[in-house]
Amino acid sequence: MSAIIAQSGVAAARALQGPARSVARCSRQQYMRLRAQQQQPFRPAARSFSASGRVLEKRYTEDHEWIDTSDPESASIGISTYAAKALGDVVYVELPTTGTEVNAGDAIGAVESVKSASDIMTPVSGTILEVNSVLEDKPGTINSSPEGDGWLAKIKISAEQELDALMDAEGYRKFTEENKSSD
Amino acid sequence: MIVWNSACRSARLSTRPLTVRRCLSQRTLDRLTDPVQSYISTSRDPYLNLSIEHFLLQQSAPESVVLLLYVNRPSIIIGRNQNPWLEVNLALLDPSSHDQSYSEPPGLGAVDLVRRRSGGGTVFHDEGNVNWTVICPSKDFTRDQHAEMVVRALRDCGIDRARVNVRHDIVLDQGQHSLTIGSDDTHSTPYQTPEADARKPLKVSGSAYKLTRQRALHHGTCLLSSPNLNIIPHYLHSPAKPYMTARGVESVSSPVGNILLSNERFIASVQKQFGKLYRSIGDAQEVGDEWQEHDSVRKGCDELKSPEWTYLQTPQFSISNQSDTLTDVDLELSVRNGVISSGFCGTRKSGYSGAARTGLPAGLDGRRLHDISSWDDELGGSLPSVSHDRVTRLCKWLHMMLPPPIGRPNTHFR
Repeated sequence: MSAIIAQSGVAAARALQGPARSVARCSRQQYMRLRAQQQQPFRPAARSFSASGRVLEKRYTEDHEWIDTSDPESASIGISTYAAKALGDVVYVELPTTGTEVNAGDAIGAVESVKSASDIMTPVSGTILEVNSVLEDKPGTINSSPEGDGWLAKIKISAEQELDALMDAEGYRKFTEENKSSD
Repeated sequence: MIVWNSACRSARLSTRPLTVRRCLSQRTLDRLTDPVQSYISTSRDPYLNLSIEHFLLQQSAPESVVLLLYVNRPSIIIGRNQNPWLEVNLALLDPSSHDQSYSEPPGLGAVDLVRRRSGGGTVFHDEGNVNWTVICPSKDFTRDQHAEMVVRALRDCGIDRARVNVRHDIVLDQGQHSLTIGSDDTHSTPYQTPEADARKPLKVSGSAYKLTRQRALHHGTCLLSSPNLNIIPHYLHSPAKPYMTARGVESVSSPVGNILLSNERFIASVQKQFGKLYRSIGDAQEVGDEWQEHDSVRKGCDELKSPEWTYLQTPQFSISNQSDTLTDVDLELSVRNGVISSGFCGTRKSGYSGAARTGLPAGLDGRRLHDISSWDDELGGSLPSVSHDRVTRLCKWLHMMLPPPIGRPNTHFR
C-alpha cells in the first residue's frame, strides 16, 4: 500500500498508550468484544479500556494496512482510509486462500485500481481463516468502507508479540500527517 | 504469491566453468545496486522480457531507478486480472490448430498469449512497438512522471503532437495547429481539438503499473511502426464477449495509430531523457537470452508460460448461449479460477421451467476449462435425450466461444 503514498521513512512503531478510544460499531463487533473479554485476554494487564465499553482494537502498519485485534482468534485485516483514498477506485480485489499460513509482511492479495496492481501485506503471521466474498462482487466497498465492510481477510494470529510493533490509531494518524507534510 | 530466490551474490561463481554457471555475472549483480540503471533487451521473447523486468523490480536496490527497453515478437499481453476468453480471439493465436478457411488474415503466424503481473488492459506487441519500463522507489512514484518523460523523448524527435492524457496514456492530437502552449507542458499540445470534434486523438502508448512495498514499476507500450494495425482488432475481439458475464478488469478500447519513428531513434531518445531526468550519463547494459540461465528469471518465465498462471488466474465468469439463435440446447457454465464450477443444460423453449433442465453435464464439473480440447468428446454422450444434430450445433458454438488453447490438440475438425 505504501507504494502510492509518499513515505517519510521514519520508523513510527509505538506501543499502545492510554485508554483506547470508544467508537460506535455495529452489533457484531460488540459481540466480538464481549466474547474476547470473556476469554483469557492476551494483552498485558497494564492496558485499560474505556469505561463506556466500546473499544476498537485496531492497529496500523506503515504500509497502511490495519488489523482489528478485538478477537485474536479471528482478527480482521484491511487497508486504511488514507490508503483507499490514494488508491483510487478499486476495480478488482485478489483475496488469499483460506487455510494459507502466512508470515508478517507476506503479500496476501492484491488490489487493482487505475491500472495498478498493488500488493497487500499481512501485518502479522498466522493462518487465513476467512476472506470477504463481498469484495468479489463489489470491490468498491474498499473505497466506501475501507475500515469497516471493506475488510479483506480474517486471520488467526500465531505470534501475538508482532502486534506490539504496530501503531495504534493515534500513532497512525500522526504518521500519515508526517507523510503529508513531507510530500 | 511467488517468493523469489535471492540473486546469487558470490564472487566464487564467476570462476566456475561457463557451462555450469547458474547465476548472472558478478558485474551484472553489482550493477543492481547502482543508483541509476539502464538496460536494453536483445531478446524478442515476451516471457523472458517480462521476467527480466520482474527480476529487476525485485532485485534492484530499493533507492535505485531503473530503465528497461524491450521489443517483443507478435504477442498479446493481458493484464493481471483479465479474462483471456473475454479479451482475445483465442482461436486465431495458433493458425496451425484450426481450419485455415476462417483464419483471416494470414501472415502473422503463431502469436503468444501472456498474462503480465501489472494491472490494466490488453495490448498487442510486435516488432514495430517498443516497450519501456521505469522502476523507482515507492515514495517517489507518480502515475504520470515517466509518461511525461517519454513524451519529452518523442517531442525531441519532432513528434510535437504527443501528450499525456487523463488516463496516463500517450496520445497524438489530430487537430490543426491552433493554440499557443508552453513547450514544457506534456499534457497539452497545440493540436488538441474540442471534446466533440470528430478528430479524436490517437493512442500510441498505454500504461500499466505494479506497486510493491518499496518499489513502483510503470511500463508502457509505444506504437512506432507496427505493420499490423489493421489486423490487431481481429485478435482483440472475442466472439464470446456477448455471451459472457465476467468479473475482473475489462479493456478500454481506443483508436490507435503509428507514430512513424524508428525503434532506434525512439530508444536513444528515451535513454537520453531518462539520463537527463536522473542526472546520469551511463551506457545501457544489454540483457537477453543468457538471463534464462538465472534461476529466478527462469522460474519467472516458467510461471508466465504456465497454463495455471495464464488461465487459472482468471476472475470468475459465466457464459450462456441463451441469446444465440443457432443453438437450441441451453447451456450455462460458471467458471471460477479457470475451473468449471457449476452450470446447467436444457432444451430450448423449456422456459427454464426446470423440467427440461439438467445439471452440469457429467464430466464437466471441476474441469479446468483450458484442459478441454474437444467439446464433442465432452458432451457427446452426456445428453442422451437430445438429438445428435442439436448436440453437434452446441459443440460447434462452444468450440467457437471457448476454443482449446495454443498447444492443445484440436479435434473438432477431423
